[in-house]
Amino acid sequence: MTHTQVLVIGSGPGGYTAAFRAADLGKEVTLIERHDNLGGVCLNVGCIPSKALLHTAEVINEAKTAEHLGVHFEAPSIDIDGVRKNKTDIVTKLTGGIKALAKARKVNVIAGYAQFISTNQVSIEGGDEVIEFEDCIIAAGSQVTKIPSFPFEDDRVMDSTDALELSDIPKRLLVVGGGIIGLEMATVYEALGSEITIVELAEQLIPSADKDIVSPLFKRIKKSYENIYLNTKVTKMEASKKGIKVDFEGKGAPETDTFDKVLVSVGRSPNGALIGADKAGILVDERGFITTDRQMKTNVEHIYAVGDVVGQPMLAHKAVHEAKVAAEVICGHKSGFDALTIPSVAYTDPEVAWTGKTEKELKAEGISYKKGVFPWAASGRSLSIGRSEGVTKGLFDSTNGKILGMGICGTNAGELIAEATLAIEMGCDMSDIALTVHAHPTLSETTAFAAEMAEGTITDLMPPRKRK
Amino acid sequence: MSTTKNVTLPDIGDSDQVEVIEVLIAVGDHVEENDSIITLENDKATMEIPAPFSGTVKSVEVTVGEKISKDSLIITLDGTEDSPSEESYSTNAGTEAAEESAATSNIIEVVVPDIGDIDQVEVIEILSAVGDDISKEQSIITLESDKASMEIPSPLAGKITKIPLSVGDKVSVGDLILSLEAKSENANTAKATIVESTPTIIDATEQEPIKIVDEVISVATSPESHASPSIRKLARELGVDLSNIKGNGQKGRILSADLKDYVKQIISGSGPIEDGVEVVPLSRIKKLSGKHLAKCWSEIPHVTQFDSVNIEQMEEFRTHQKARGVKLSPLVFIMRAVVQVLKQHPHFNASLDESGENLLVKQYYNLGIAMDTPDGLIVPVIRDVGKKSLIELADELTEVSTRARESGLSKAEMQGAGFTISSLGGIGGTQFTPIINSPEVAILGVSRTQIMPVWNGDAFIPTATLPLALSYDHRVIDGVQGAKFMADLNQVLKNIMEILL
Repeated sequence: MTHTQVLVIGSGPGGYTAAFRAADLGKEVTLIERHDNLGGVCLNVGCIPSKALLHTAEVINEAKTAEHLGVHFEAPSIDIDGVRKNKTDIVTKLTGGIKALAKARKVNVIAGYAQFISTNQVSIEGGDEVIEFEDCIIAAGSQVTKIPSFPFEDDRVMDSTDALELSDIPKRLLVVGGGIIGLEMATVYEALGSEITIVELAEQLIPSADKDIVSPLFKRIKKSYENIYLNTKVTKMEASKKGIKVDFEGKGAPETDTFDKVLVSVGRSPNGALIGADKAGILVDERGFITTDRQMKTNVEHIYAVGDVVGQPMLAHKAVHEAKVAAEVICGHKSGFDALTIPSVAYTDPEVAWTGKTEKELKAEGISYKKGVFPWAASGRSLSIGRSEGVTKGLFDSTNGKILGMGICGTNAGELIAEATLAIEMGCDMSDIALTVHAHPTLSETTAFAAEMAEGTITDLMPPRKRK
Repeated sequence: MSTTKNVTLPDIGDSDQVEVIEVLIAVGDHVEENDSIITLENDKATMEIPAPFSGTVKSVEVTVGEKISKDSLIITLDGTEDSPSEESYSTNAGTEAAEESAATSNIIEVVVPDIGDIDQVEVIEILSAVGDDISKEQSIITLESDKASMEIPSPLAGKITKIPLSVGDKVSVGDLILSLEAKSENANTAKATIVESTPTIIDATEQEPIKIVDEVISVATSPESHASPSIRKLARELGVDLSNIKGNGQKGRILSADLKDYVKQIISGSGPIEDGVEVVPLSRIKKLSGKHLAKCWSEIPHVTQFDSVNIEQMEEFRTHQKARGVKLSPLVFIMRAVVQVLKQHPHFNASLDESGENLLVKQYYNLGIAMDTPDGLIVPVIRDVGKKSLIELADELTEVSTRARESGLSKAEMQGAGFTISSLGGIGGTQFTPIINSPEVAILGVSRTQIMPVWNGDAFIPTATLPLALSYDHRVIDGVQGAKFMADLNQVLKNIMEILL
């Protein structure tokens, strides 16, 4: 039996951050990863490879639209092996980097599947090796939610991991689930030549975001995609020789259709119940989430949990911050997770990003707010890059003008959202944002313009009429 | 040879019909001695029940959700040790295992902690009783050495099962104070030393008891305070609740300087303290008597009646006795005079019961005499004043006051008075308004004797005059009664021979 001061289960962004921070603070750390490479879903089968492919898609799409700029490119020929290699190279580089960082910090990396066997021990791979720990950080992540009745045994039915493999480019691809992951993969496959159909149970794409900031994306892809079925349920999925036969139930959707491939992206489930948490006495809820306090402590004094396994949103940047808190608390720091917001980004074309409260949330919570919406059609910078569909929406407290949330749809929305996130943490009000001089012409100006719209001080547009 | 033995629920205290919330083992599992086998939960705590010996689980007799009580069968174990197979093993049932029983029922012995030079220190107060539920850090006894008195806090919460000490006992470091049945709290954070009664628990302490709670309280962040992330971090590190701070930045933003000023204030006391001011903690007596006095003063409707008494006769007698070598203070005369008058006015020698509806009139004449000590005011009781001679009273007063100043009096010596006298006559002053010592209903305040000109019909005669103030509880005593009491007292003191009646 080996002994370690801090044991970290999982090497995704939450896990490796926790391990590295604890090591930097002087702890002797063991990091357990069940996959071959460090980095978890984010680096191997999530954020990073998808962004590599999305960049490829962007280049293809830019070339296509260059015609409007007076530049003509021939139709591209796609070398799918080359596309895949670029993605793999980036992933290899990053995961190799994590490995090197682990080594430099003398973090003991163990390959295997960890299971708790007591409050201070885990076994690796069926109990051959037992590691005893003083403190533990669970960063076991999440996995793709699979609908049991769907024929996943057929190669043509994919989850997001399979889709990132890019084994071929189907002629007709059905994406089940119009959330961030489904729409990002649709963007990639559409650029590579697939005809895309999206089916979503809710009444809008990306249901957690406000409808008005998803709308520019929806309008754009509605034209280029074969079909988008909202309020529609997939009732049956069967593999046949011709393809995957799918039955729909919903207004506007056909009763049945057959696709060359299907991507099922209906969400992710936490792995809390898969690590023998009960043996350590850790409370896991019925969905598989482990509950923690603001110091990331579980109900068991010396066991912490971070990242996807502790709750929504399942985002790497949330995990990283939580991981630092857990490692610091273990090392005796009075650390705590008190971020006011965690921004969300869909790397679609155009991108959709939001931070703080959404308008739906404010309505549901009965908070009185003031809204400032700036359409990018009035942004010189947006027009100069050939796009006009974007929108920036600021939400402010109607009593004191304090920023409550922001939603952006448009090119680089994912980058632009950072300013609003900082503004929320700093407690800025609409005047603070409006009075901050933003460079011209930039897309970032739209944030200040949204604040000016709310304030009524805008000059680039007619200010909205004051409602009494 | 392996034998099958029953494992039943030991006596874990208040544990009738306790719910099984978790079964930690399955048939076929090998368990080591002290491995947890099931988790129980009552309304107070969650506890894990350890296996009394190692072995292989043969059968599990309880299910999650089931309610079990002492001696309920939990599991059967194929033991690895030789013992008669028919023997029923509770994790520690049976008389022979009584000592072990203490271990699993978590009986903790609390001993005198090593807090410095404690050798043969007297227990002056026991602040709790057997059966009391006490919380962590609650004071359990008061010790008083020649240097200081100190209250010893309980290292953890629980129910007191035994207090072997009594007031007056002398204790040293390591001596047992009390035994208590612990509630699940981390014993290691305790201030006092804990010695568990059996090795099993000591073992657990070495491994540091693992705290498992039923619920994680996840507080959502919704700061009303206007502060940036770095200030929130600093506040967290300093343990400051930002909602208590007024921000001096733009729009009320809390700045780092605001936070630091706030912390400085906290450290230096309740508010900003100027230079040249020293913080002096109140003595234990002052803290205790202060609380009592505040309560008496605020709860009793006081009326204070003043009078001046011609004590020429008394003074003449005293001078005469002094010449003979017998020193008598005016106080002993006053005490006897008061008893004389109390006999005529029994409602002044009484206390109001807790309901406030009945007067408990005393048939004995015990007087509280307020005394000054270096640590503060105390009120020892002189019993049966009416039966003692002036000389006996004078001797007793001297003895009691010497002891009060030097070593302290027992609690019993300060209880049981029916009426109190507070004399500042030796110091000065023309009058003062004494505070009634609840539950008594009246108190006499005595100031300094003065030579006053008294008109005798022909001339002003220099006369020794004693100023008296009688405070009484107006809920019990009317103004007329108060005035009559004073008039009668005046008569007795003026004609001092009346105390002989």
